[in-house]
Amino acid sequence: MMKRLVLIALMCLSATVGVQPAFAWQSTAQQLEELEERAFKQAVSQVAPSLVRIETVGGLDQVQNFLLGNGPTTGVVVSADGYVISSSFNFLSKPASILVTTTDGKRLAAKAIANDTVRMLTLLKVEADGLVPARPTAKPSIRVGQWAIAVGRALDANSPNVSVGIVSAVNRVWGKAIQTDAKISPVNYGGALVDVDGSVMGVLVPLSPQDNSPVAGVEWYDSGIGFAIPLVDVLATLDRLKQGKDLRPGLAGFNFSSTDMFGGDTKIDRVRYDSPMYRAGFKDGDLIVELDGHKVTRPAQVRHVLGSKIEGDKLAIAIKRGDETKQADLTLVDELPPFEAGFLGVLPTREKIGSGPPTVDEGVGVRWVYPDSPASKIGLKPRDRIVKFRDQTLTSAAQLIDQVSRVRPSEKTVIVIRRDGKEQSLEATLVGYPEDLPKDLPTSAIESVAETEPKASDERKVDGSEKPRTGRFGEEVAESKNAWWAFVPESYNPAYAYSLLVWLHPPGDTLEATVYDSWKTEAERRGIVLLGLKAANVGPGWQANEAEFVHETVVSFQKKYSIDAGRVVLHGYDKSGPFATHLAFKHRDLFRGLLLAASAVSERPPENLPEYRLQFQLICGSKDPAHPILERMANSLRGIKYPANFTSLSDLEHRYPNADGVDAMARWIDSLDRL
Amino acid sequence: MQSAECKVQSAECKVQSVEQTARQICLAVRFQMPSALRSARSRSIMHFALCTLHFALCTVLFQSSTHAQSTRDTIAVVQPKVVKIFGAGGIKSLASHGTGFFVSKEGHIATTWSHVLDADQVRVVLSDGRRYLARVLGAEPQLALAVLKLNSEEGAEFPFFNPDEAVSAGTGTRVLGFSNMFNVAAGDEPVSVVHGVIAAKTIIEARRGVFDSPYSGPVFVVDGVTNNSGAAGGVLTTRDGMLLGMIGLELRNAKTNTWMNYAIPVKELSSPIQQIISGKFERKKDPNEDEPSLKPRRYKPLDFGFLMVPDVVERTPAFIDSIQAASAAAKVGLRPDDLVLFINDELIQSCRALQDAIGRLESGDQLRLVVRRGNELVNVEIPVPRKKD
Repeated sequence: MMKRLVLIALMCLSATVGVQPAFAWQSTAQQLEELEERAFKQAVSQVAPSLVRIETVGGLDQVQNFLLGNGPTTGVVVSADGYVISSSFNFLSKPASILVTTTDGKRLAAKAIANDTVRMLTLLKVEADGLVPARPTAKPSIRVGQWAIAVGRALDANSPNVSVGIVSAVNRVWGKAIQTDAKISPVNYGGALVDVDGSVMGVLVPLSPQDNSPVAGVEWYDSGIGFAIPLVDVLATLDRLKQGKDLRPGLAGFNFSSTDMFGGDTKIDRVRYDSPMYRAGFKDGDLIVELDGHKVTRPAQVRHVLGSKIEGDKLAIAIKRGDETKQADLTLVDELPPFEAGFLGVLPTREKIGSGPPTVDEGVGVRWVYPDSPASKIGLKPRDRIVKFRDQTLTSAAQLIDQVSRVRPSEKTVIVIRRDGKEQSLEATLVGYPEDLPKDLPTSAIESVAETEPKASDERKVDGSEKPRTGRFGEEVAESKNAWWAFVPESYNPAYAYSLLVWLHPPGDTLEATVYDSWKTEAERRGIVLLGLKAANVGPGWQANEAEFVHETVVSFQKKYSIDAGRVVLHGYDKSGPFATHLAFKHRDLFRGLLLAASAVSERPPENLPEYRLQFQLICGSKDPAHPILERMANSLRGIKYPANFTSLSDLEHRYPNADGVDAMARWIDSLDRL
Repeated sequence: MQSAECKVQSAECKVQSVEQTARQICLAVRFQMPSALRSARSRSIMHFALCTLHFALCTVLFQSSTHAQSTRDTIAVVQPKVVKIFGAGGIKSLASHGTGFFVSKEGHIATTWSHVLDADQVRVVLSDGRRYLARVLGAEPQLALAVLKLNSEEGAEFPFFNPDEAVSAGTGTRVLGFSNMFNVAAGDEPVSVVHGVIAAKTIIEARRGVFDSPYSGPVFVVDGVTNNSGAAGGVLTTRDGMLLGMIGLELRNAKTNTWMNYAIPVKELSSPIQQIISGKFERKKDPNEDEPSLKPRRYKPLDFGFLMVPDVVERTPAFIDSIQAASAAAKVGLRPDDLVLFINDELIQSCRALQDAIGRLESGDQLRLVVRRGNELVNVEIPVPRKKD
């Protein structure tokens, strides 16, 4: 057979050799292009029977300010008895009904069975049999550089739409996806990324390595950056999806000390209580060295292994603790018990900044002891110094706050204190954070500048830098049309850390005079810097895109003044509450307190995390219709283990808190560094 | 000349037999492929055989035509036929540049009907840098088509595409797009080339407001980014230089909220192009012009004996709220909570769409409904009652 072919080929060659021999090379190139083109078309026709067209009826027309299309989309058949996998993006509108059209034109009612929230997939079921399941490509045979054909059914009812590219990368977006330069967009989300042999490498989805919101990655449509979830991974979790339960990320229950994903080490900061890690006996400070057989030294490598894990998945982990090595096989979970910090009942002394390096045995001073707290029960008194907690020697209040938060309420712990030059060891049983504010909280002394700094000319400090402004002042911000005003205590002394109260006015009224007049005295007494921000349009009030202005202004104030990062508070009143809530949950590394007056927490709070301490105060008048709602809300915040205070102001209607209220709010701010 | 023709003729005879052999081989190859793939050696022999065959076919078949063969050759042949057009615009986001292509050797240019042509004269720059003024000879806004005539020297000839020779091609076919997108090509630089495959052949229906386009009709959708600012009026060709389509204006698809890359098949344009050139063109009447834009809805659901749920949001699903006793709807067994999915094969995505679809019915029509009841799809048919106007 072969010989005959060659013979015929040679005959053909000789028949034409006299005509145009010089272009033989072009013909070869063209032949290759043509063979490839034929291969693309054959691959498409092979996969076509496994692709269905999906239509939806009813539903939302936008999500997160993102306009949703309502055109047809695509799904991939994964079993003959009617299971179809598709991109969750195609169902963001939460449609009233889903319809599936099979290759032979049959229209079927479909039911959404479950979502895979890690890979952004949705499983559909139609009543049918004899469907043609897609043939999966084995993962190891997917190589970067090979042809990759994206096939969808959105554009035309009768034939699939096609885009041709190559595999750009594998194991992308934390191990979840194949990357391709074929044009991926809503016209093929939910469709297949096909090998030239017609087997399905993956299911096309929008994805982003930075963001896991359901519309993330759509902005990259048709850009040459597209993603597909390997079909073999889909099939591996298919049985779990068929049970009808959404698949959520698998959690082991730890976080890292380092915030540097690519440069830091894999030392565990905390093992979460009752997590798979905790139950396997791992501890704070362990160093992760191996995951599922991969050696790891950086947090990013760990994320790479964990990124594609879902609840119920196994994780083989090995750690180092000193010279010891410890291994375990974990089963990951979808939810951890909420984190709850223990409470000792102490306000730490606010030390003067830069008064020499801390000596090792100096410890942390006690400023004030909460009545009836564990600290008061073991007899702690102001001016005692806590020198050791959980066997850790202490050098700063921040360190002590961190250590106390590692002990759970009702857990016993050993504290070493120094009183009158003598050390003594005490045992305390911690409790949860108190609901109520201390009734009478003495202020923390701030020495005046004259005592701490040599005399200098009025506007210039000794080192020549400009002296930060004090008193009441303000500025317009030209680019964003926003403005701000501030009040810095006249007695401001940069040698002490201040609280920062960020005021967001309600729509229609900046309430600048009210807030300034109410707060001026407390700000001076308790060391609070007031920062009043103004929306670009005061009438309609704050818009979502003004979040950046708030963030930038707060950060610049933090740089200019001596501010305690643990006492930065967002303050909203009435209709500015939602914006304040949004910002507090969005910038958890910046805001440590959310103070809402006559306004509710308008978003579902995120999980309470040890690395981002956030405390709440809700305050309103007893005659305010919102009163019962806010009281319940404070309770539910405590239910998910956030420290939350509710303050009721007697005989007050729906208006900005009176003098009693401001006193309570100031006490709350002044106790944010409690432990 | 004559001897050359003889050569061609005899070559064609040869081709016929060669072609037959080629078909046999192709069939053989297809059936033999799996076993052939087992050995690399036999594969290379196969490849050699195929290549040689193909070479033989191509050299013989195409020697009489001007069609190029490899992509590189194609580009060299096509580029001189595509021109850069400069006219009105330049304010805000409106570009003042566009693309066109020669459709006659005398210097007729086909391009997209757009604001760029909204000037007394436009400037045309050829791929070799020659500059001419041109005027709009005629236009067919419904096809987004305009034909220009160069103000060229007596007897000047230009390389051109014959629109009558435009071809069609299927999904997955490799294509090249030629245009002056973003006005990147300056002076004597030829226009930019992009590559891709035909993603789909589909129909743009401007009327439903899905596409904000003057053109309704079939299009080639391309998987490359062909439709950029200034690209409209460029050409889409096959890999071997056959004319497929004219690149259209930038267009957003409201069904997917994405920008489309597409070309209008020149087959749709060739007769108006020839008519404009020969001066015999008569604009077709826009079928939509007669229809008043806001036609009152002739029928409503109650005419059939059912009521819909209150229409509260943009996409309220079309659930039936109640059925009147002894009505046509009751007779065919419609029930409250049935979700209407189709009316006469049109997908009904909202209450509003249902009201529109029912409003368009004419007396004597059949109202065919597909409703979803639980997980079942139920078909019913109701004759449209006569109505006095």
